[in-house]
Amino acid sequence: MRAPLARRLASMTAAALLSTGFARAQSPDLKIGVVNPYSGPMAMYGDEMTRGYDIAVEQANAHGGVLGRKIVVIRGSATSAQEAIAAVEQLVGRDKVDLLSGTYVTALSNAASEAALNDGKLYWETNALSKDLTDRGLPNFARSGPDSTAFARRSVEGVMQLVIPKLGKQPKDVKVWIEHEDSSYGTSIATEQQRLLKEAGVQVSVGSHSAKSIDLSDSILRAKNAGPDLWLSTAYVTDHNLLLRTAREQGFKPAAMMLVGTGDTPETLEAVGKDSLNGILLVSYPRADIGPSYGPGAAAFLAAYKTKYNRDPIAPQAMSAYVGMKMLIETIAAAQSTDYEKVIAAAAKTDKPLGSYETGYGVKYDSTMQNTRALPVIAQWQDGQVHAVFPKEALAPGVTLMELARK
Amino acid sequence: MADLGNILAVGILLGGIYALVSVGLNLIFGVIRVVNFAQGEFVMLGMYGTYAAYSVLHLDPYLALIVVLPALFILGAVVQRLVLAPLRTEPTMQIFATFGLLMLLENLVLAATGGTAYSVTSPVSQTSVDIFGVQVGMVRLIALAAATAVAAALGLFLQRSMLGRAIRAVAQDRSAARLMGIDVDRIYMLTFGIGAALAGLAGCLLTPIYSLSPQIGTSFVLPAFAVVVLGGLGSVLGAYVGGFIVGLTEAFAGYYLDPSLKYAVLFGVFIIVLIIRPSGLFGQIGAEEVGLRGE
Repeated sequence: MRAPLARRLASMTAAALLSTGFARAQSPDLKIGVVNPYSGPMAMYGDEMTRGYDIAVEQANAHGGVLGRKIVVIRGSATSAQEAIAAVEQLVGRDKVDLLSGTYVTALSNAASEAALNDGKLYWETNALSKDLTDRGLPNFARSGPDSTAFARRSVEGVMQLVIPKLGKQPKDVKVWIEHEDSSYGTSIATEQQRLLKEAGVQVSVGSHSAKSIDLSDSILRAKNAGPDLWLSTAYVTDHNLLLRTAREQGFKPAAMMLVGTGDTPETLEAVGKDSLNGILLVSYPRADIGPSYGPGAAAFLAAYKTKYNRDPIAPQAMSAYVGMKMLIETIAAAQSTDYEKVIAAAAKTDKPLGSYETGYGVKYDSTMQNTRALPVIAQWQDGQVHAVFPKEALAPGVTLMELARK
Repeated sequence: MADLGNILAVGILLGGIYALVSVGLNLIFGVIRVVNFAQGEFVMLGMYGTYAAYSVLHLDPYLALIVVLPALFILGAVVQRLVLAPLRTEPTMQIFATFGLLMLLENLVLAATGGTAYSVTSPVSQTSVDIFGVQVGMVRLIALAAATAVAAALGLFLQRSMLGRAIRAVAQDRSAARLMGIDVDRIYMLTFGIGAALAGLAGCLLTPIYSLSPQIGTSFVLPAFAVVVLGGLGSVLGAYVGGFIVGLTEAFAGYYLDPSLKYAVLFGVFIIVLIIRPSGLFGQIGAEEVGLRGE
């Protein structure tokens, strides 16, 4: 009696093992390697973006994943181009990821996407800004979020439609000082702003600075002497903070100020104080509190984020990353594959109007695989809070534009 | 003329900041003959110490001095004893050790803060005064006054006090100083402690100006090297005057040429001065042999 029982048990175990084996063979996890700075000075933002990815993946997995496979996000940490290449090699070689995504920093995206191409993998960019990334024409690369040109265009729309009417002047009588940090991020946005504003007949002066500079009094004095109506600045967090503090010290109070890219987080609120920030405009990724008709589902994203992490998002990059990951998963489903040729082809065919996603984005890729329907919004500091104020549809109920001038 | 007045003020105030950061660096170099790459990190630690005192103990950044200065003094003394003293026969390795210290401290703070840019405000940081039509931030004015007071006090201390004389004696000839009964190892430890405490002082006074980042120390230490080389290695007065040379050069180049060119101009001047006068404006020829001078 013993032997048949043992045999039965053995065969049952074997069957169980085989069935799990089969299950695995049939639907292995779909692994997405994510390249971001998870250490170093930008780790906070790399982590924040990945929180957005994790929420999108969790929601997709709750509905069966994609291609019948459960989706798994695997992190690859990089703080420099060399580390980005190493991270891709490790994600592809050791972790056997199916495709790659990211990135908070343009330089990392640049290196990681080329490394991904060498390994024959897709690189789906959700956040990095520089226009150069899509201009390279890499066959494995698409960007679902806005690029630097979209930020420049949105800021100029804000100048023409929001600031100039408030000033009560003709465009030709308006003076704008464009300040930018001197790496490719600030320079690419400022160059496009300058071109568009000159086309619109506005008087433009430009100043640049190094983000690592210990003193920016010279930059503020130059701007102050030009007597601009609007000071339009693109910079990183710490140099924006120093510029704003120096402006206060030097009594530089133009009729309007607009910050591009940063200046919209608690870090700037702590540095400058809510009174000095009041009225300052911000060109930034759409935030989770935008109007429901502009970004349908933004409130649900905010609720999901709060439930999972027990606090509000640290930065608006999270929702843009979340939407980028959703778009990626949908495009894989449409392509029925993770091969980069098929995913890129499926993306190129996608056509969704603005307002299709939580960020207000739609989908329509141009020939360089830049999503032309991913647009930042203009927000404003109002008593220590940031509220979207442009375009009109993005306004949350009860929000209005306040005076632009600083007290 | 208003431009010139403004830019002179900016340069002098910036010079005050550089002088404050450089005095400690030059003291350490003059006595211990070590180029301390980690000096900027001591400034950075002073800033984070001020932030900690501000957020935990609710101390105004200027009151935080009473905590930060002793803490940095002790840290400096411990670093000298544990890291530099064992390498005293290998001067080149001491320089590498301070570079290692730079990376260690920067990355420790990075790990602890996650790279968040903290800021501290004091009622003073919102104030500026009008001096002959030139707007001057009160925080920068205080830093300038402190730099002047520190340079004068350090000069007097080195000239007049027994400990100051002992420090100078060690700087000039450590063997003779030892024969005279001076505890050379103790002097090294005290000097490094004082140098670190001066960096802590700079950190405290500069916290209301900057948003803190773990890399901020490196931004200070590069111009500080220009300051001590231009002013004269090992000279307290040199560090003070060198601060203004660097501050004014930066301000004029930034304003009249282009802000993105100011470091290029500064280090151009730096190389020219090195070629014409290798010992700097107030340094003695062969300063690396002669060491510290108190004037």
